[in-house]
Amino acid sequence: MVGGHDLATRIRRLYLPLAAFLVLMLFPFYWMLITSIKPNRELYNARIMPLIVHQPTLKHYVDLLTETNFLTWTYNTMLVAVVTTAVSVVLGTMMAYPLARMRFPGAAVVAIGVAATYLVPQPLLFIPMSDIINRLELGNTLTAVMLTYPTLLIPFCAWLLMGYFKSVPRELEEAARIDGASRFQAMVRIVLPLCTPGLLSAGIFAFTLAQNEFLYALIFLAKSEVRTVPVGAITELIRGDVFYWGQLMAAALLGSVPVAIIYSFFVDYYVAGLTAGAVKN
Amino acid sequence: MTSRRDFVTVTLAAVGGALAPRWAGAAPKAMSVVHESSFIKAFDDFFVQKLAPEYEKLTGIKINYEPVSVGSMLTRLTTIVETKAGPEIVATGVNWPYLFDAGLVDVTDVANEVGKKLGGWHDNIYDAVVVNRKWKAIPWGNIGQLEVYRTDWFKEVGVNKFPDTREDLLAAGRLLKKKGHPFGFELGHGFGDNHGWLYPLLWSYGGREVDKDGKTVLIDSSETAKAVDFCRKFYQETMLEDVLGWTDVNNNRAFLAEQISCTNNAMSILIVAKRDFPEIGKVTDHGLNPQGPKGRFHLFNVQSHAIAAHAPDQAAAKAFLRWLYDDKQLSAWLVAGDAYYAPFLHGYDNHPMWNADPRYLPYKDCLRTSRLHAWPGPAGHQASESVAKYVLVDMFAKACRGDSTKDVIATAAAQLKQIYKAK
Amino acid sequence: MAVGPASIARPAPVAGRPITLRGLLEREGVFSWIMLTPGVLFLLAFVAYPFFYGIFLSLEEHPVARAGRFVGFANFVILAHDGVFWQVTRNTFMYVAVTTVFKLLGGFAMALVMNQSFRGRNLTRAFLLLPFIVPTALSTVAWMWILDPTFSIVNWLLVHGGVITSGYSWLGNASLAMWSLIVVNTWRGMPFYGITLLAGLQTISPDLYEAAAIDGATTTQRFLYVTLPVIKPVLIIVTMFSVIFTFGDFQLIYALTHGGPANATHVFSTWAFDIGMSGGQLGMGAAVALAILPALVVLIVGLTIYLRRE
Repeated sequence: MVGGHDLATRIRRLYLPLAAFLVLMLFPFYWMLITSIKPNRELYNARIMPLIVHQPTLKHYVDLLTETNFLTWTYNTMLVAVVTTAVSVVLGTMMAYPLARMRFPGAAVVAIGVAATYLVPQPLLFIPMSDIINRLELGNTLTAVMLTYPTLLIPFCAWLLMGYFKSVPRELEEAARIDGASRFQAMVRIVLPLCTPGLLSAGIFAFTLAQNEFLYALIFLAKSEVRTVPVGAITELIRGDVFYWGQLMAAALLGSVPVAIIYSFFVDYYVAGLTAGAVKN
Repeated sequence: MTSRRDFVTVTLAAVGGALAPRWAGAAPKAMSVVHESSFIKAFDDFFVQKLAPEYEKLTGIKINYEPVSVGSMLTRLTTIVETKAGPEIVATGVNWPYLFDAGLVDVTDVANEVGKKLGGWHDNIYDAVVVNRKWKAIPWGNIGQLEVYRTDWFKEVGVNKFPDTREDLLAAGRLLKKKGHPFGFELGHGFGDNHGWLYPLLWSYGGREVDKDGKTVLIDSSETAKAVDFCRKFYQETMLEDVLGWTDVNNNRAFLAEQISCTNNAMSILIVAKRDFPEIGKVTDHGLNPQGPKGRFHLFNVQSHAIAAHAPDQAAAKAFLRWLYDDKQLSAWLVAGDAYYAPFLHGYDNHPMWNADPRYLPYKDCLRTSRLHAWPGPAGHQASESVAKYVLVDMFAKACRGDSTKDVIATAAAQLKQIYKAK
Repeated sequence: MAVGPASIARPAPVAGRPITLRGLLEREGVFSWIMLTPGVLFLLAFVAYPFFYGIFLSLEEHPVARAGRFVGFANFVILAHDGVFWQVTRNTFMYVAVTTVFKLLGGFAMALVMNQSFRGRNLTRAFLLLPFIVPTALSTVAWMWILDPTFSIVNWLLVHGGVITSGYSWLGNASLAMWSLIVVNTWRGMPFYGITLLAGLQTISPDLYEAAAIDGATTTQRFLYVTLPVIKPVLIIVTMFSVIFTFGDFQLIYALTHGGPANATHVFSTWAFDIGMSGGQLGMGAAVALAILPALVVLIVGLTIYLRRE
């Protein structure tokens, strides 16, 4: 940013495409927002201008918070997502590091085996999986999903991190080892810090997938008090062929916007972990 | 935490029960009932707030109520039955007593007692819940699918009473579409409102998917062709293109947004209209499905309670059902359900719940002419497969899209032959 | 990446030294397996049984609630003769291929745009992730509104803008329905590419760009010879995951069209679910779900070989 770019270039390169992305990505959220604050009679009125709200109301939010267990669902979701993300990123890192950077017998088999867990589609896995959960007597507990989500997330984290680990030059690590660092120290002090953005994106995506998961949560969490947001909302706000649109959209927003705001603090470290000026174009 | 510990106890019992008879004799501390979350919230609430606590006070057995969204119910039941664990009492609909036959307990004794006390069961209920002469579920009511229409708009085109025949309804629809009030009948892959009118349509022209023997595929007939031709005309002259992609939610919303003048649906439209859109509620009414050349038909969606075979204490589960289906409990529960569920007991034919609104009555009247999917074929696994593959729905939908009658019937026939393993 | 032969950079072999615990731990094989064991054990414990159960199920005729009967490959033979199966196959490949291209190109563009510095960057980055954060089960509910012809805001804008006279049926028309689903999937998946690739871009040392600039490289050359090689592993892995996830995509299609109109949008996962769960034919459902196995195996094995080649 040394003044080399004039405003026109900056508009062309940054502001226009950025605006386009923002509109495309966020328009449905605008839609969710106005749906969540429109009274029912306005929602069903096809004759009025749909982009604005004529008589905004917070009724859907109040109903969501008072008539359902939404706060409990949110707490459950966060707890499950935090635990599964931590487990998955740690175990995923431990698997990805040797797979990406070492030569050892059995490496290819493990690498393929880890990815192979995705080959059998989830709609098939949940019958045997719930058999396991039943045998462990974990039905209707959050532990059930805390144990099953990592089966999806560890391979995901491992593979994603393999890509980032590969991009760190081997020489950096070798130099540290010549200076007397053990393999473990070289990993923790040299390679991992360089891969902070990768670790963060693995964490962010593991967290996101965990809080979005539907099928296992549906099967394992049958009581309202132990449900997560997606399953709770879908079960209690869709009754037969009638949707509680406003409350559903309120749940979607309350469940996602705070998470995005928390992410925005983490995204900071995308840069902070690196040498200053890394973002220079 | 207590409820969780109880659940563990129950699960333990469920796992150990099949092997060890030591549990027999000792009454369970808790039992669970899995239900599809009712369209009528008060119906669910009544169970949780009234019935369950009352039973616990009476017997010390805690009853957990596990609601599942309508679309997820089959998944949940499949898991329960396949893993032989989970709730002892499961709610069923459609043909599930047949589908899960081997995983459900014979409840003939309970059914007979309930029937005797409450005036006897309707005759055609046997087709829906009695499998190989054994009652596999106790039905509390039917969610009927009827014609829902706007009385004011129908009057504007000179139709004061809901048309009694298919052709009259088509004629009315033509006029209404010209006035900007098209019909909207689901032709997409929803769970109920598509089959709800298409099976009756096929039957009313004399068409059948498969014969009673479950082997002879009958779909390729001139009767089917007439039904398909009618459907195409009905679609092209009265409806919007979008119905081809509709699921069950779309017609409710289109009706309440005053976009369509007639559809086929359960009672949910009227009930929501009365609650949220009173002026639409005033001009909404129900009609029986119109007759075709071969009669008048409706589709069953029988809601029942069954006992899973893995239940460690089947006697306790039966005792609970006996209590639940006692007039004192059942009657009040049905009232809480606002006549959304039409019971099959003659003792309830003139139940006070029918007095709440005369517009509810057709849901009682349609019981006599209701049949299960795939009728007259057997209601087992193959019927489910045909429904799940949308054989019938797609046959009609493709014809509406413009494919020839011959082609769509040939495709459906090939699919049905594969499903029923016929030549 | 590889500067000089690897053997020079590697420390001297441990052969001559006495074997110590530390020495043992420093061996690549030992170190690797110690790191791998917890994850491998966890996956074996929870995935092995379901994995083989799924494969075994596909070789059975297994109506729900009844005992299964081993039938070998009979389910697959039946599928091969089923017209709907081939329609579903075409739908699936079209859905996966088109959305992957869209997401890849869009996501890359998104990453490049966001790799510049501007005010409010962190918040923007996080908010662009929203489509991915919000539970799919709920965001599809919003899309149900957006794509409903009566209420469709797209139709409203087109009609009121004078472009068309009556709205399109986004989900009712067979060809439009597939494109509508592609748009929704792209909307949800693009941020995944965008943010992951952005993280990849951030690991590129600015020195490399400076060096390239000194050598007089143009923007395009810098992109081709500096950016692309460094983020290639990430790019490939992200694409692989997205392909696998898209093959398994279920909720979005199930909620919006349920495979309709007339099977025009059924894909393997939704069709398998309908046959296995709604139809109660667990064996056949498993067979449908596993029909994509060969394609995915080729993908994964090919990728493993590529990534482990140095």
